[in-house]
Formats: sequence, structure tokens, C-alpha cells
Amino acid sequence: MVEVHIPDGLIDPLVAGAGWLLAILILAVATRVVNRKVEDRHIPLMAMLAAGIFVAQMLNFPIGGGTTGHLVGAALAAILLGPFAGAVIIMVILVIQCLVFGDGGVTTLGLNFLNMGFIGCFTGYYIYGAFPERYAKAGMFVAAWLAVFLGSLACAAELALSNQMSNGTFGISTVIAFPSMTIYHAIIGIGEGIITTGIIAFLARVSPEMLRMPKITSGSPSGPIVEVATDA
Amino acid sequence: MHKRSLLLAAAVILAAFAVGLVFFFMFSAPYGDGLEKTMENAGVDEPAPVYRAPLEYGDSYPVALAMGGLGFIIVLGSAFLLARMMRKKGK
Repeated sequence: MVEVHIPDGLIDPLVAGAGWLLAILILAVATRVVNRKVEDRHIPLMAMLAAGIFVAQMLNFPIGGGTTGHLVGAALAAILLGPFAGAVIIMVILVIQCLVFGDGGVTTLGLNFLNMGFIGCFTGYYIYGAFPERYAKAGMFVAAWLAVFLGSLACAAELALSNQMSNGTFGISTVIAFPSMTIYHAIIGIGEGIITTGIIAFLARVSPEMLRMPKITSGSPSGPIVEVATDA
Repeated sequence: MHKRSLLLAAAVILAAFAVGLVFFFMFSAPYGDGLEKTMENAGVDEPAPVYRAPLEYGDSYPVALAMGGLGFIIVLGSAFLLARMMRKKGK
């Protein structure tokens, strides 16, 4: 089966180290916020969502031209739980994928977290929150698409920077990394948008109380409440 | 979420995974994802890993199903324990 995250040995050690440093700082802030705001009712949702995203990430779907993509799930997690708790559960998934299943490198775990956990969750949450309630579904789709697209843009930048810093020993040249990563992920993002919107619409039917749970944010006690018309 | 709804949610997710895996092996298994394709376009081979993990996802339906199920339980347990620890710390 395909392994889906940045592997060891592809990124310049300095770039990978910077990724780890940033990831540790972001996780320190995220865990602090979650510590303060998490309630008992969030705990089962956090666990189930993490496990569900883990298996969903194993299911690559074809996007044409012999290429596949898979759900990242960061926007989904952030819309349901808030960006901080979303980032924490994405890190749990990445650590287990890396240490137990060899999916993604140990040296690149920080960058994988930045691309999927940090960019994915914060983009997903705040873009979704910017949409008025009557366009909630459109907001979810756009948020999920952008979460994947911006994450791929960051990954392309890391590959290109590695290539330049190491004079070609690591990474991928700018002229290939940017167009290739962004074109594939612009298409993969459509799948992410459809799946994210579909899962939330399904949850709105079977467990609407889950969607009304307060979101874990650094500001007000609860973020935007997810309301999706159940007759859609 | 009550215990019963949790078990139901886990069953639904695992059933959806078992079905999704059939389609994965039918349509996607031989192909790489966006990053792998980018590496292929650049002529970059996947370098040797720094750390060798004890398990892998597997290349057949039964193995992938078992690994997915095992991963599901490990992630569920880890995320649950972590969230509980965070809740206790915040109290």
C-alpha cells in the first residue's frame, strides 16, 4: 500500500530541523489551549475522530493520470473540534503512522505536522468560520479544499528550499515541486471537500448534538457552531 | 457520546473502511499519491528510512484490513488517553 507523507532523506536536515522546532512550538500552544478548554464530552469525539481519520487516510482514491489522493481530515477535525484540538489529534495520527507503520519519516514528522496539522486545521477552521451560516456547506467544501491546497504549497516550498540549500542533494527543484504538487493537490482537494462536507452532513443527520459541541479555541469558549440542514 | 453510540460509531467506521478498501485495491493500489508522483516526475527515488517501523500497511486486502483495524484501535486508545490526560491537567 502507498505511504503518503514526506519520507526521511528527502528534505535538507536544516529545513527538517526548523520544521520540528516550529511544530514543537505550535504543539506547546495547542496543548495549553486544549488543557484549559477540553471538556469530558470532547474526549470520545477526539478519540473517534482521530481513529476514523487514520483509517480514511489509508484509502487513496484515483484522481486520474495514475495518481491518487486521500483524505487529510484536518479541516474535518478542526470544524468539529476547533483548530487546537484538531492539530493535536492530527499529530497523534502522524506519530502512530510514522512510528508503528513507517508512513512518513521521523526527521520530517515536524514538517508533516506543519503541512497537514497546523496549516490544515487552522485554514480549515477559519475559512469555514468566515462563511455565513446559510452557506455552511460551501464553506466546508472551500475550507477543506484550501486546507489541502495550502498544505501542498507549503510542502512544495519545503522541497524547493531543501533543493536550493543543499545544491540539489535534497528536495526537488522549484520548477517541478510547485506546479506538480499544486496541480495534483488542487484535484485531491476536491475529493477532500466532497468527503468532508459529506461526513458532516451525515453527522448532522445521525448525531446533531455532536455538531453543537463547543469548539476548542483560544478566544471565546465556543467557536462557530456547525449547523447543517438535515434535509439536504 | 454514550458507550453504545461509541461502539456503533466504531462499527460504522470500520465497516466503511472494509468496503472502501475493496475500491482502494480495485482502483488505487498500484498508484502513488501527489507527493510520490511529484518525486517520480523529478526522478527522485524514495530514500532509505532513518527508522524502520515494526509494521506496514500490507499489499493485500486481508493484511491491509487487519492493519487498518489495529491502527484504528491504537489511534483510538492513544487519542483517548491523551485527551483524558489533558482534561485532568486542565481541571
